Order: sequence, then C-alpha cells, then structure tokens
Amino acid sequence: MSARKWLLIAALLTPGLGLILVLIGTVVYIAVAQSFGFYTITGESGFTTQFWSDMIGRKLFSRSINYSIYVGVLSAIFSVALAYPLALWLRKPFAGSMAIGAVLKAPLLIPGLVAAFLFINIISYNGIVNQLIQWLGFSDAPIRMQNDSNAIGVLILQTWKNLPFALLLLTGAVRGISDEVLDAARDLGAGTWARFSKVIAPLTVSGMQASLVIIFIGAVSDFSFQVIAGPTNLQSMSQLMVTFKDRGDWNSAAVVGVSLMMIALIGSALMAIGARLMLRRRLT
Amino acid sequence: MTMSKLNKVLMISLLVICTLWLVVPFTMAVLWSLVDPSQPWTADKLLPPAMSFYRWIDMWQNSSLKSALFTSYALAPSAAVLCLLLAAPTAFALGRFKFPGREVAKTLCLLPLVVPPFITSIFFSSVLFQLGFTGWRFGAILFAHAVLFLPYAIRILTVSFEQVRQEHIDAARDLGASHWARFRVAYLPALKPGIFAALLIVFIQSIEEFAIAFIVGSPSIVTIPTLLFSALGQDFVRPNAAVLSLILVVPNVILMLVLEWLLKSANPTLSSGKG
Repeated sequence: MSARKWLLIAALLTPGLGLILVLIGTVVYIAVAQSFGFYTITGESGFTTQFWSDMIGRKLFSRSINYSIYVGVLSAIFSVALAYPLALWLRKPFAGSMAIGAVLKAPLLIPGLVAAFLFINIISYNGIVNQLIQWLGFSDAPIRMQNDSNAIGVLILQTWKNLPFALLLLTGAVRGISDEVLDAARDLGAGTWARFSKVIAPLTVSGMQASLVIIFIGAVSDFSFQVIAGPTNLQSMSQLMVTFKDRGDWNSAAVVGVSLMMIALIGSALMAIGARLMLRRRLT
Repeated sequence: MTMSKLNKVLMISLLVICTLWLVVPFTMAVLWSLVDPSQPWTADKLLPPAMSFYRWIDMWQNSSLKSALFTSYALAPSAAVLCLLLAAPTAFALGRFKFPGREVAKTLCLLPLVVPPFITSIFFSSVLFQLGFTGWRFGAILFAHAVLFLPYAIRILTVSFEQVRQEHIDAARDLGASHWARFRVAYLPALKPGIFAALLIVFIQSIEEFAIAFIVGSPSIVTIPTLLFSALGQDFVRPNAAVLSLILVVPNVILMLVLEWLLKSANPTLSSGKG
C-alpha cells in the first residue's frame, strides 16, 4: 500500500475512530489509574494495589461478577435465538410482514425505564398476572414475583428489549442473501436446518456476532433493570459501582468498573469467536 | 401445508404473542394512569373503581415534564446527525478498503460499548469539564452521546459500505459518471437502509440514555429518563409513573411508524443489486 493511501485511510478514520480513541482512552485511563490509587478525590494519591486486593477478597464482589455474567450471557443467547427465525420469516415481504416487523421492533423504541415500569406493573402484587392466577384458582393469595431471586424478571426484560435490536441487524444480513444461493442449496438437497446452518448462518455471521456482542455488553453492565426488577439480595456490577461511588469510595468504584470493562471485553470476544468457530466446524 | 397457510398460522400465533408482548402491558399502564385518587384500585377488582384524567393534568402542570421533553427531543436528533457525520468516513474506510489492521480498527470502534455507562459518564464528565465544557451542559451531553453511540453507526454503515457492489461502481465509472454521480447510483441505494438504521438507533439510544444525562446534566438539565428514574425511585406513585411512562412512550411510537415508513421506502432489492 502506498503512503498516500495510508494517509487517506488515517484521515478517514480520524473523526470516528480517532475521536473514540482519544476520549474513551482518557476515560479508561483515569478509571484504571484510580483503581490503582491515583487521582484520589480525598486523601493521598499514589500507586497501590490495596484497592484491588481488598475488593477481590470480598464475597459481595464475586457474587456480583457471577450475577452480571449470568444475566449478560443468557440475555444475548435468548435474544439472538429468538430473532433468527423471525428474521428469516420476514426475509421476503408478504401481506402484513411490514406490520409485523413494526410490532416486533416496537420495544426498541420503548425506553428501558418505561419497559421496567410496564413489566413490574404487570407482575406486581396486585397486577394482572396475579389476578389471573387467582381467578383461575391456581392460588388463593397473590404471589410475590417482583425482584425474584433468579432474576427471571431481568432476563425477560432484557430479551424483550434486545430481541428487536438483534432482529434489526439480522434482518439486514438475511436480506443480503440472494435467492440463487438458497435455491441452489435447496436443489442440492439441503433441508431447512442444513440451509440455515450451512448457508444462512455463515453468511450472516457478522450480524450474529454484532448482535451477541452488543446485547451481552449491554446486559452485563445493566443498572436500571436490576435496580427496578432484579433480586434485592444481589447487586449487578454497575449497581455495585454506583454504590461505592455514592459512598465517595471512588477507588473501589474504579476497581469494579475496570473489572466490568474486562469482563465485557473478554466475554464479547469469546462470544464472537465462539460463533465463528461453531460455524467453521459445521462447514468442514 | 402451503406457504400462505403457514404464514396465516404464524401470523395468528404472532398476534397472540404481540398481545401479551405489547397490548397487555400498555393497557395496564393506561388503566393505572386513569385511577382517580378518590378510590384505590385493589387486586379484587378487574377495572379501576373510579377513573379520571386527574393524574394526567396534575403531571402536565406540576412536574418538569415539559422541559424534559424539549431537552430530550432536541438532544436526540442532533446527536443522531452528528454521530452519522462522524461515523461515515470511518465506516467508508472499514467497508471499502482492505488494509492491515482493519479488524483491529473495527474492534477498537467498539470501545465505547465496553466501558460501562456509569463509569463512562463519571469519567467522561471529568474529561469534558477539564476541556472547558462546563458552561454548556447540553453541548457536553450532545458531544458525549455522539461519541458514545459511534459504534452503532460505524458498525451499521460499515456493513452497508461492504454491500455496495464493486461492479456497480466500476460500471458507473466506465460509463463516465462523475464522483457524485457514482456515489448517487452505486453507493446511495445500498447505503440508504444503513443510514436510516444508524440514525434510528442513535436517536433511540440518545432518547433512552440515562447515565450521561444524569451525571453530566444534573442538576440543571432534566431529560425524559432522568425524570422517569426519579419518578420510579424516591417518590414512587404508581399512577404517576404510569402517566409519565405513557407520555414518554407515545411520541416514540409515532416516530417508529414514521421511521418504519422511511425504512420501507428504502427498497431492499436496490441494496442487493437485484432490481
């Protein structure tokens, strides 16, 4: 490649990637520095691993990590697994497909806090689900479903919120596959599953990876769904970080924050690689 | 079973799911927003015993709803356009050029998503304030939103740029098309859905964004999510939260219909080159 082309590429990358690197780089730098004792708001600044060693020994911290990974992984998998069949169904326009697409994408436009309110309103102690259960005679008294200890409520909310996003990305990817390719696969005797796993999935792998990664990262660092609908005896990592920050313990908050960043980075890399490896094995 | 019959069955099952998915939650929210304070709605009654618009009038007159709506709906479109403008050159480079380090560059574009929102907002605000944005909090939030949501716009536009067919560009060039004409006939049809999708996603992300608006904007700037968060938090009154949720959601739904129409007008056959 010529120097001129390199210059062109560098110039093109500057307003987007360049800005990201400069600003996010500074944010990450300050977070990392604070987790090692620098930029302390009150008290002395200076290098120390004290905040890390204190945090790693705390049960609160490890429980929070496990919980956040649980929510992140399951939300990503549920959303993408449900979005694929819908994207394939809506690949070819048919009467009413636009309306269905619009309805399915509706949760994308509903702010997360509103979604959380709608959800707890339904499952609350005197919500419609409890009314139904009592009316059908399954239970005499209302059941407490809000803030359930397995975070099923959070997972339902995450899937409800993220499925349309996966659908948006996958619909675009699936529509990019030409009919000739699918017809050829069919003529060669490929069944529905073979057409999906050997043709559609490999051709849409970047859409699938993007969905998995973006949903995982959003769900693993969830704050509002957890605060409103999540289990009360557990804290998500974002929640834990805010708790420390509110106490004025910025260094501990930075430790949690840096850990969360690492988990998001490593987790999404594993998911993206996993998706590609699974497909490669199928292809050979 | 024929294809049309299968579609009918699928349509009906989907309608049922949609009812559970959208209609029931919103009906419940509407009913709760209409509960008159004179009589409480208890679990043994299917409908509220007394209904009125009391809560609606009260919220409109006595909360910072109006200013929050104005702030959010000025912020989101500005952030979407700014983000698109910043993202386009990078997406063009990532989608049209093969260069060493391209995959690394793509991954680096995801950085704002890896940083959890609350740590981003806290340290972003500190960075922005050091750069002298203290006087104009709206500008600071706008800037933060435009940069934070770049990954979405870059990802989507990169895929769009990748879908532009080289044969179309070459054909246009061979036929003597100028730079602009080549962009219009070869690039634009393939890019259109991506541009709308990117604008749509950044707009939605900006409307919903809570952490930056809360940390950077407080106390002078109130957006829709920060207002709702305080309504769901300390002073939680369910009918009030219902009113607020509905007021926040209805414009979004109208917008969705407009944007869905816009996306529909971007013919997918054009983007795949199969006209």
